[in-house]
Amino acid sequence: MRNLVAVLMLVLVSACSTTVERVASDSTVDLSGAWNDTDSRLVAEEMVADVVSRPWISDYNADTGKRPVVIVGTIRNLSHEHINVNTFVADIERALINSGRVDFVASKHERDEIREERVEQDLNAREDTRNAAGQETGADFMLKGQINTILDVAGKEQVRYYQVDLTLISMSDNRKVWLGQKKIKKIVSNAKIRY
Amino acid sequence: MSIYRRVLLFILCSTPLLIQGCNSWQVNELSAALPAVGPQKTLLELEKITPSQRDRVQYLLNRGILNLYLAELESSRKDLEEAKAIILSLQAVSLSENMAAYTASELLRSYGGSPSDKVLVHVMLALSYLMSGDLIGARVEVLQADSTMQQLDDGETSSGQLASARFISGMIYELGGEFDDALISYRRAYKIMTGRNETIPLALQTSLLTLSQRQGQVIEYQQYSQQFSRVASVQNSDEGEWFVIYYDGLVSNKAEARISVYDPGANAVISVVMPQYYPSTYRPASLILNADSHNSRTQIIEHMEVRVREDLNRKKAGILAAATVRAIAKYQLSRGAGQQDPLIGALVNLAALASEQADVRSWNMLPASIQIARIPVKLNQQLELINKSRTLPAIAQLTPSKYAVLLVSSLTPQLHSYPVNEAISALQ
Repeated sequence: MRNLVAVLMLVLVSACSTTVERVASDSTVDLSGAWNDTDSRLVAEEMVADVVSRPWISDYNADTGKRPVVIVGTIRNLSHEHINVNTFVADIERALINSGRVDFVASKHERDEIREERVEQDLNAREDTRNAAGQETGADFMLKGQINTILDVAGKEQVRYYQVDLTLISMSDNRKVWLGQKKIKKIVSNAKIRY
Repeated sequence: MSIYRRVLLFILCSTPLLIQGCNSWQVNELSAALPAVGPQKTLLELEKITPSQRDRVQYLLNRGILNLYLAELESSRKDLEEAKAIILSLQAVSLSENMAAYTASELLRSYGGSPSDKVLVHVMLALSYLMSGDLIGARVEVLQADSTMQQLDDGETSSGQLASARFISGMIYELGGEFDDALISYRRAYKIMTGRNETIPLALQTSLLTLSQRQGQVIEYQQYSQQFSRVASVQNSDEGEWFVIYYDGLVSNKAEARISVYDPGANAVISVVMPQYYPSTYRPASLILNADSHNSRTQIIEHMEVRVREDLNRKKAGILAAATVRAIAKYQLSRGAGQQDPLIGALVNLAALASEQADVRSWNMLPASIQIARIPVKLNQQLELINKSRTLPAIAQLTPSKYAVLLVSSLTPQLHSYPVNEAISALQ
C-alpha cells in the first residue's frame, strides 16, 4: 500500500512539473494538426526551389541587363486558421536575396516607417548624412498570393488540405511571370477518450 | 474498504464540490448584477475569482465577452482563443469525469460549453477581429464557425445552428467583396429562421434581395421579393450602408431545481437536483438609428434567451439519468452507514444533500438577443444613435469603401466600428 502511494505521488509530482526539450528547428512536431512551422518551412523550401529555377530572372537580365527588383504585396490568408504568412515570405525573401540574383525593396507596410525616418532625418540629421526623398528604387515585380484550405470533418477525423499559391507579377505590364504552388494534406484524428 | 473509510472518503470528496458550487453561484451573482453595475466593475469582481480547471472555459468566455464590451479587444481575443482551444480538447469523452458525475456530482465534469457557446465563441472572436480592423482574421473565425455548425448539425434538431452566425458570416464575406459566399451564408440564416418560424429581420431581407439580384439569381430574387413584399433598392454612387450589430440585455442564469424525497424505509432523504431556467422576463429593446430624418430600428436575429433554454432542454434527459444514478448510489451509501451507526448515516445523508448541486454553469454574460440592421445612408451623411445620444461621422470620413460596421451593446456606452475610428470608439 505504501509503495503504491509512493508511486502515485511520484506520478503526480512528475505530471505537475514543466519539462523542456530542445529539438532541431527543422524537426517535425505536430501537436494539434493546425498549420505549424513545418508547414511554413515546406512551403518556403518548395517555393524557393521553384522560383530560382524558372527563366523569369534570366529573361529579365537578358532584356534589361540588371537584376529584377521585387516587392512583397498582399498574401491573403483565406484559410480556416490564423496563419502568419510572414514566416515563409521572409524565408523566400532571404533565399532570393542571398542568391544574389534578385533585389527586394521594402513592402508597403515597411516603407512607411522608413519614409517617416527620412522626414526626421531631413529635420534633424547632419546634412552630409541625410538621405534625400525621391531616391527609392521602384519594384519590377510584385509577389502576391493566397492560402486556401478545404476542411472535411467527420466525427473525430479531419482532413485538412492547404494550398498556397504565390504569383510574381510584372509591374510594367501585369504579366504573371511565375506561379508557385504548394499543397499540403493532413489527416487529423482527435482523441475520442481522455482520462 | 470499511463503511467508515467509504464515508470519510465521500465526505472528503464532497468538500471541494461545495467550494466549486460557491464559485458557480458567485459567477451567477456577478452576471445578475451586470446590467446594474456595468462590465468594468463586473470584470474587476470576476477577476477576483480563481476558477478551477473544470470551470476555466466558463470563466474565459465571460471574461472574454466583458473585455469585448469594454473594447479591450486584444484581451478579449486572448481569452476567447484559449476558451476555444480548451473546448476543442474537451470534446473527447472523459472517463474520470463521467464516473465522478455519475457517483458524486455533475459539477465534476469540465464545462465545455453548450452547442450555442461553441459557435458563439467564433462569432465573438470574428467581431473582435473585425473591430480591430482585421477583416482576414474575422474571416478565419467565420470559417471556423461554419465548420463547427456543420459538426453540430445532427440533421434532426437545430442544435448549434445560429442565424446570427450565418448573418455575420455573410456580412464579413460581403465586406471582402465575396458576394457568392455572402449569399450562401444569408440563405443559411434564412433557412434556420424559417425552420424556427421566426420573423425574418429587415436587414436579412435586404441582404437576400440585394445579393440574389446582384448574383443574377432571378428566380430566387423573385421568390424573396414576393415573400417580403419588397424589391431590392438600387444603391447610388453617392450612397453607402451601415451594418449594425446590437447586443441587447443579458441572458438568464441557470437556477437549481431540487427535488428531495424522504424514504421512511431507510430513514434517508434522496435528493435530485436539476439545472433549470426560470421563464424569461426579458423585454427586447431596439437600438434606434436616425439617418436623413428617417428612424430605423435593429431587429432580433438571435433570441439567446430561447437558444440557451433549447440547449438545456436537449441535455436534460442525460442530466436526469446521471442525477438518478447518483442519487441511488448516495442513498445506498447512506443506508449502509445508517445500518452500522445512525449518527454516521445522518452525517452521510447531510453530506449527500450538500454535495448534490445542479450544474448551473453557463456563458451567462452573453446578450439576451442579438439584433441587426442595415442602414442605407448618403456617403457624406452622419448617423445618429438615438438611444445612445451619439452621432457618428459619415462613411466617407471612415473609409473609401461604401460599407461600415457598428457594434453596440446595451450594457455599455462603448461603440466599436469597422473600419476602426477613434472618434467612434472614444467614450463620450
